[in-house]
Amino acid sequence: MLALQARTRGRWYHLDEFRNAIERMPAARYLDATYYERWLTALETLLVEKGVVTREELATGRAVTPAPQPSPRPLDDRPPLRPRFRTGDRVVTRNAHPHGHTRMPRYVRGRHGVVRTVNGPFLLPDTNAHRRSRDWEPVYAVEFSARELWGRDGDDAICVDLWESYLEAES
Amino acid sequence: MIDREVADSLPRKNGELVFEAPWEGRAFGMAVVTHEKGVYQWEDFRDRLVERVREGSTHYYRDWLSAFESVLLARGVIEPDELEARMREYKELRRDPVF
Amino acid sequence: MSEHTHHHHDDHDHDHGHHPEPPSDVEARALALESLLREKGLISGEEIDRIVSAYEHDIGPMIGAGVVARAWTDADYRERLLADPAAAVAELHPGGPSATNLAVVPNTPEVHNLVVCTLCSCYPWAVLGLPPSWYKSAPYRSRAVSEPREVLKEFGLELPTSVRVNVWDSSSDLRYMVLPERPAGTEGWSEEELVALVTRDSMIGVARPQAPAGARS
Repeated sequence: MLALQARTRGRWYHLDEFRNAIERMPAARYLDATYYERWLTALETLLVEKGVVTREELATGRAVTPAPQPSPRPLDDRPPLRPRFRTGDRVVTRNAHPHGHTRMPRYVRGRHGVVRTVNGPFLLPDTNAHRRSRDWEPVYAVEFSARELWGRDGDDAICVDLWESYLEAES
Repeated sequence: MIDREVADSLPRKNGELVFEAPWEGRAFGMAVVTHEKGVYQWEDFRDRLVERVREGSTHYYRDWLSAFESVLLARGVIEPDELEARMREYKELRRDPVF
Repeated sequence: MSEHTHHHHDDHDHDHGHHPEPPSDVEARALALESLLREKGLISGEEIDRIVSAYEHDIGPMIGAGVVARAWTDADYRERLLADPAAAVAELHPGGPSATNLAVVPNTPEVHNLVVCTLCSCYPWAVLGLPPSWYKSAPYRSRAVSEPREVLKEFGLELPTSVRVNVWDSSSDLRYMVLPERPAGTEGWSEEELVALVTRDSMIGVARPQAPAGARS
């Protein structure tokens, strides 16, 4: 039966991190030994081709150069939800953000809304590929009135899912 | 590859094809499987897809494939020159499109 | 599983009477990516085949329709569905695609919900399969939030002003599914009969479920 692990956060590997890559390979947890061995072989080939290791180094041991090993982040390591806001809180979206609002729709920028639901935490999307740390943040469905967003009459509303750092308490 | 006749016989959901052409299915499947294997974070892929969609193109799976390629290149999973070389082989019929 | 096939073409007879069309640029790109990923041992063709087949045959709005019909007939299930959607879906489909991060928004006589992803086209795959083209289109993505009633009208659904429209923009990890209201005139209907009324569009929010008169032949 198909079981899409949509929750698989997994880690990603990068050529720069091949020193840790083998141990950090997240898929190793999901694959059986024979598949892992084949993948390992392919990976080793890549490593040699990239000049990251030599065949001699591979033959003598996996640890090429001692390097700090970041601990893996499987889904089980998701921190507990410690939300700053609660349902009913009035919030306003920030105009400036340290890493850029990669996931704030433009139409709610600088707008006032009310927290409807509290979710997550989810990984804050980050377009800066060089960051090593990944931040988990609560995500709020924030309700904005059509009046606030578009100047339209009536009670219609739009709920947008926003990461905590996109929001400020309404003063 | 698969001609129009066969494509028309693909199952439809609510009167629409799930994939308009076989390559769309491959693009979709590759992205999902590769993500499941932990090769990249979904949000990395999605950010790239959002960028491309924002540019206003009208072909969704073209954007999807482009975003997928972009995240693979950024992660160093494939190199630009090997991708270009392999594409040329297919375009010039020097490689069998049937796996 | 996967074997190296990049020399496969050497074994083919060349039929000089047949001149195949070269693949289009996008087809060549998809082929190149797949062949490289397979060669590097990262994925296999069979794995891709399985996903494609699953979405073409098994994963689709029938799953969501079953969840809705169950919620209509079983009040406790409806409660569980709203409290923990992933678990409730898994009850009906153990071993099926994970519905983690699914959120269910129930329609009421006062509130009609509509789902969109303005940024790209995120969609609750696990219960609805893959989204229709119009859902991914730029007009839907922008107009669903700015003029939802006009969009609904174009889909044939006109709502009185006494009903609030609540649009949900799936801008993060959550995936939304609408739980439509049970149509009037279906008292005593079985789950099977009710499933037939639940359309994909009613679970996105651009339509209501089918009415009994339309379904019964």
